[in-house]
Amino acid sequence: MNRLTETLANLKQQNKKALVAYLVAGDPDIQTTVDLMHLFVEAGVDAIEIGVPFTDPIAEGPIIQRAHDRALKNNISLKDIYSMVEIFRNKDSTTPLILMGYLNTFMFHKKIIEENKNSAIDSILVVDIPGELNLNDYGIKSSSINTISLISPTTKQDRIESIAKNSSGFVYYVTLRGVTGASNLDSNEISNNVNEIKKHASVPTLAGFGIKSASDASLLSKHSDGIIIGSSIVQMIEQNSVTKEFDRIRKYITEIKQAIS
Amino acid sequence: MKTNKQNLPDKNGFYGEFGGKFVPETLMYALEQLETTYKKLKDNNEFKEKFYSDLSEFVGRPSPLYFAERLTKHYGTGSIWLKREDLNHTGAHKINNTIGQILLAKYMGKKRIIAETGAGQHGVATAAVAARLGLECHIYMGSEDVERQSLNVYRIKLLGAHVHAVNSGSATLKDALNEALRDWVTNVDDTYYIIGSVTGPHPYPMIVRDFNSVVGEELISQSKKLFNAMPDAIVACVGGGSNAMGAFYPFISMNETRLIGVEAGGEGVETGEHAAPLNDGIPGVLHGALSYLMQDEKGQVKETKSVSAGLDYPGVGPEHSWLKDSGRAEYVAVSDDEALRAFHEVSELEGIIPALETAHAFAYLDILMKEYDSSANIIVNLSGRGDKDINTVAEIDGIKL
Ligand SMILES: Cc1ncc(COP(=O)(O)O)c(C=O)c1O
Repeated sequence: MNRLTETLANLKQQNKKALVAYLVAGDPDIQTTVDLMHLFVEAGVDAIEIGVPFTDPIAEGPIIQRAHDRALKNNISLKDIYSMVEIFRNKDSTTPLILMGYLNTFMFHKKIIEENKNSAIDSILVVDIPGELNLNDYGIKSSSINTISLISPTTKQDRIESIAKNSSGFVYYVTLRGVTGASNLDSNEISNNVNEIKKHASVPTLAGFGIKSASDASLLSKHSDGIIIGSSIVQMIEQNSVTKEFDRIRKYITEIKQAIS
Repeated sequence: MKTNKQNLPDKNGFYGEFGGKFVPETLMYALEQLETTYKKLKDNNEFKEKFYSDLSEFVGRPSPLYFAERLTKHYGTGSIWLKREDLNHTGAHKINNTIGQILLAKYMGKKRIIAETGAGQHGVATAAVAARLGLECHIYMGSEDVERQSLNVYRIKLLGAHVHAVNSGSATLKDALNEALRDWVTNVDDTYYIIGSVTGPHPYPMIVRDFNSVVGEELISQSKKLFNAMPDAIVACVGGGSNAMGAFYPFISMNETRLIGVEAGGEGVETGEHAAPLNDGIPGVLHGALSYLMQDEKGQVKETKSVSAGLDYPGVGPEHSWLKDSGRAEYVAVSDDEALRAFHEVSELEGIIPALETAHAFAYLDILMKEYDSSANIIVNLSGRGDKDINTVAEIDGIKL
C-alpha cells in the first residue's frame, strides 16, 4: 500500500492530526537535506514534502525562492533527487515522501517519474496545474504514485467538487491568498472551506501556507486532518546553513507537534 | 476585433497542444472572471466604440503604412512598406493592448493595476492609461533592464507609477513576470494584471492578440488602397510575440501572405546564447502557458541573451508555437550584430530610428529581399521607436553621451 495513504489512514484511526514538513532538495546541499529529513522524522513529522528546485517558482515567497536558488547553485535535478531519496530510504523505508514542484520539471522528467525506482516516492504535488486536470494527460504517471491537488480560498464551489474528487493522496487547502510564507490567516474562511471540501473528498484534507506559530498550527489542525509547514522551517535552514546546527528546527517541530496533538 | 476562421483558442485556452492555464490555484478564479468579462464585452458595441475612439484620440490611430523608398532602392527588389507603430502615443504597439485592458479593469471595478516590462515600453503604455483613469499602478522590471532602459524607467515614474526592480533569477523580463504573478496571487481581489504580450495563461494570449489585431486589420485596408493587393510577406520581431501576432492574426486564413517572425539570435543561435525559443527550444511550461521554451538539459529555464531588452525572454506566446508547428508562419533569428547594423541602416536611409527589437525584423530583409522581384510588396511591422535604446547603442559604439 502507498505509504502516504497508509500513514494518513492510521492517524485518522487514532484520531490524530498529520504533520507534514517541507524542505527544498539540495538546500544547502544533498547530504544536509538527507540529514534534515531524518531529523524531521525523529522530531515527529509524519510525511515529508520535498521541493523540487525550479528556476521560476511563481507560487513561492522570498524565503522559499532563495532556497530554490541555493539548490540550483548545486545543479540539483530530479535525477539527483532520486539518488538522494535512495540514500534516505536506506535508513527509513516507511516515511511517506511527496515531491512538490512545477509542471515543467515533471513533464521534462516523465520517464523518471513513471519508473519511480523502488517506489521511493509516494505522491506528487504539481503547484501550477489546475486541480481538475489529469496529470496523465501530460504524460506524468506512475502506478505507485498518487496525486495531491490544491484548493484555495478563491476556488469556486463547482471546482471544489471536481478537484476534491481528483485528489488521490490528500487535498491541500491553501489557507490564504498569497505566495508561500505570507501571513494573513482567516479562521472562519478556512473552516467553511475545509468543511465544503470534506463533503466531496474521499481523502483527508490538510491545510498549509502561512503557518508560523504553534497557535497557527493548533488553530488550523482543528479545522483539518493535518497541517503542512514550509517557510518557517526553510528560513531556519537558511539561517543555520553554514553551522548546520539544526537543533532549533527539532525544537520547533516538537512544539508544533504538541500544539496539534 | 473580428474572429478568424481558425477560431482558436479552444474553450480550454489551447492552440493545438499549446497554451492552457497552468497557474497556482489562487489565480484560477481571477482568470475565469477575466474570461467571462472579456467574452461579454468584446462584441458589445459600446465597448468597441470606446476602444476604437480611445485608439484614435489618445493613441493617434490608424498608424500609416509608409512606403520606404530608400530602403526599397537599397535592396533593389520588392517594395518595402513600414507599418508605423512607432508613431503611436508612447512610441510602440504596446499601447493598443493597454488601452483595451484598462477598459476591462475599469469595467471589473479593479482599483490597482500591475504589469511587467522588459524594454519599458509596456510599462510606459500601462502607466499612461492608468494615469488617465487615475488608477494606482505598479510596474515590475528586472534590475538589469532598469539599468539598460533607464529613460523608460523615468518616463514610467513621471506618469505616476511605481517601479519595482526585480533582482531574482536573471533579473530580466522573465523574472519581472514571476514577480508580477506573485503580486497578483497576493492581491487578487482588487488588482488587475495587464500582461504585456501574447504570453501567460489563457485568456491573456487571446485578449492581447485581439487588441493588437487592429494593426493587421488596418493593414488589410491599407494594402488594398496603396498597392491593390495583399502583401507577399509580413515581417515582425518576436519577443513574447504581441506585435507579430497583432499583424499576423487577420491574415492567417490568407495563404498568399507569408508570415515571418524574427527572434533574437543574440550571439548566434548556434552558440546557445540567444533568446530564440521557436528556433532552438522545446515545448515546456512557463508563466502559465505550454509553448516552445528555452530549457537546459535538466529541464530548467535557460537564461537568455539579447541586446534588446524587449526580446530577452526564454518563452513565446502559445499561438506562435501553434503557427510554427502548423507551418502557417515561419520563424527565423538574427544576431545582435545584424540587428545593430540594421538599426543604423534604417536610421540613415529612412530617417527613422527603430527600436532595437524592431531592428531584428529589418535585419532579416537582407535575406528575404533576395527571394523577391520588383512586383513584391513586403511589410515590416515597425513596432516601436528607438529613442529608449540610444544609450545602449552609444555604449556599444564606444560613444559617451
Ligand atoms: C518596440 C517593441 N517591439 C517589440 C517588442 C517585443 O514584444 P512583442 O514580441 O510582444 O511584440 C517590444 C517589447 O518590449 C517592444 O518594445
